[in-house]
Amino acid sequence: MKTPQQAIRRGRRDFVAGLGAAALAASLPGRALAAASEVNVGVILPLSGANAQFGINSRQGLELAADEINAAGGIKALGGAKLKLIIADATSQPTTAATVAQRLITQNRCVAIIGAYASSLTLAVSEVTERRGIPLLTMSFSDVLTERGFKHIFQVVSKGSVLGQAQYDYAASVVAGASEIKKIALLYEDTAYGTSQAVGVRNAAKAAGAQIVLDEAYPLGITDVTPLISKLRGSDAQIVFPISYLNDSLLIIRVMRQQRLTVPVVGGAAGYVIPDFAKALGQYAQAVLSIAPANYDQAPEYTERYRKRFGTFMPHEALEHAVCAGVLAQALEVAASDKPEAVSKALRAQKYDQGWAGVMSGGGVHFDANGLNTMAQPIMVQWQDNELVSVWPQALAKGRVISAA
Amino acid sequence: MQFLQALVDGILLGGVYAVISIGLTLVFGVVSIVNFAQAEFLMVGMFVAYFAWKLLGLDPLLGSLLSFAVAFVLGVLTQKYLINRVLKAPAVAQIFLTVGLLIVMENLALILFGSEFRSVQTPYQMTALAIGPILLSAPYLLAFVVASIAGLALWWVLKKTWWGMAVRATAQDPMAARLSGISTHRVHQLAFGLGVGMTALGGGIILPYLTASTTVGAQFSVLMFTAVVLGGLGSVIGAVVGGVAVGVIQSLSSLVLPMQLQNLALFAIFILVLAVRPEGLLKRAG
Repeated sequence: MKTPQQAIRRGRRDFVAGLGAAALAASLPGRALAAASEVNVGVILPLSGANAQFGINSRQGLELAADEINAAGGIKALGGAKLKLIIADATSQPTTAATVAQRLITQNRCVAIIGAYASSLTLAVSEVTERRGIPLLTMSFSDVLTERGFKHIFQVVSKGSVLGQAQYDYAASVVAGASEIKKIALLYEDTAYGTSQAVGVRNAAKAAGAQIVLDEAYPLGITDVTPLISKLRGSDAQIVFPISYLNDSLLIIRVMRQQRLTVPVVGGAAGYVIPDFAKALGQYAQAVLSIAPANYDQAPEYTERYRKRFGTFMPHEALEHAVCAGVLAQALEVAASDKPEAVSKALRAQKYDQGWAGVMSGGGVHFDANGLNTMAQPIMVQWQDNELVSVWPQALAKGRVISAA
Repeated sequence: MQFLQALVDGILLGGVYAVISIGLTLVFGVVSIVNFAQAEFLMVGMFVAYFAWKLLGLDPLLGSLLSFAVAFVLGVLTQKYLINRVLKAPAVAQIFLTVGLLIVMENLALILFGSEFRSVQTPYQMTALAIGPILLSAPYLLAFVVASIAGLALWWVLKKTWWGMAVRATAQDPMAARLSGISTHRVHQLAFGLGVGMTALGGGIILPYLTASTTVGAQFSVLMFTAVVLGGLGSVIGAVVGGVAVGVIQSLSSLVLPMQLQNLALFAIFILVLAVRPEGLLKRAG
């Protein structure tokens, strides 16, 4: 016969065992459930500092695409797992960007990283992701990104030198007959993006037999462009190609207007193609041309959803980041795995042109061995009544070129 | 002709550097503290002027008076509750305090205003005054005029008013000033307020040609210290000379050097001046 004492002891033992079992039961399916219901995607963007505006636009593009993908049932091959964006601020400093990437990867199990807008930041982040074998999807321009033989980098846009080439060639066809342009001016920011794209413009100009009468680099965060514009005024350039982010693009246009320079301006994306450009310049933005890796008027059925949610047209960096998310989601379906190496393999395996991936100019994304999107096609856009209209090449044009009043 | 144009641009730009630097030198000369957070008050001034334009429709040149007022009050409070406590502390503690203030202000602004760039639109922004072949950019010229008026007003206050004399007396000999019945605490608050107020006013008047952002301080911090040390730390006239010198050097160097090396020329000259005249261009040694 059991003594009451023993009964209590037995009960206690049972209780502890039961507790253990319950905890085990609760934790096991719990963890399995978590793996199926969410896929972590690391996002590194400049959300403060000189390039913050672009980082914010990019984040909004990603949020739009991710929310849409999740609302449509998530990643079906992974049991309807939802994309979970883990967003980190790279500031506008490459060293910080690398540290942030390192921390993001160590603290979270990410299937891929998307970012980091500015080429100099992306270069820093790519060193980390390559080492860890995690795919990095980017819309940065620099040629160097896909020239180092990295296995895990994926550039959805045309590279800088190609954009620079198009900036010149398209401008020559749009502004005047290609043969009439003899002298051009080139102003660019001395960052990875600026220098890379300047190479393209320079080569295209040389190939076309035009003379570069002014070829000036200037530092990021420049506060006074008057000397540059004075030089431009002193030169007899027929067309000027500035490659700059927002702050400097505003300075350049304002000082040009002050000095009553009417030389056509053909910007190099970035600062020339975001809503803030027209917001700050008002009527003076009218007729300014720029090259862009993509434009929202190519797929309004998608991009108008951005306008509805965020109140402005969808800037190209938002669009391309949404493309990154779209491609990643489809690659996850193909890989049917959330292992980074499987995702890298799937990204390289085939063409992606469904959903947001198809919004990219050129109709989709197909990565070559270096991770460059072979389908990407630059577009020339023009400011017309506070909207960006695709004007070249002919096949993609949505409107006619207007001349400055 | 290019030389003349660059010289004129440099002087106009330098006038603004001067008014910004006066603030820093005033704080150092009177309160004897190197305020590393000085450039953050420029940022505050930019935002005050921006919101005055956005919400009240006030031109930034007028809004800069509001910038001055807001920064003045902030400055008095900062001096009273923060700086005053470390006046007798070792220099390291003073550096920690002002650098800490810099970080707090920048991040607070980031939380409050976000990181977007904000730009005003004014009618004169895209115009320039042509004098023969020389073009005077309207926003530069107007900023220069307001900076000059502000500088003269400060000079008048320091020279002619009782408070100004008390400020100068405290700068010369705090002990003697105290013995003559001047409350040096009050004078310190006044000087700190005036100092950061001038810098904030500078932030307001540059708004027509620069965008306001929370990190704008960093771009001016180094220029400001260069101007002040070039002219001689603590000397108001020195800051004016230093400020104009920085503007002119920057502008002229771009005639011969690529734009990227603008600041290289500036710092090469700066190091040279420090080596030959460590006390600054104007100040007498000892």
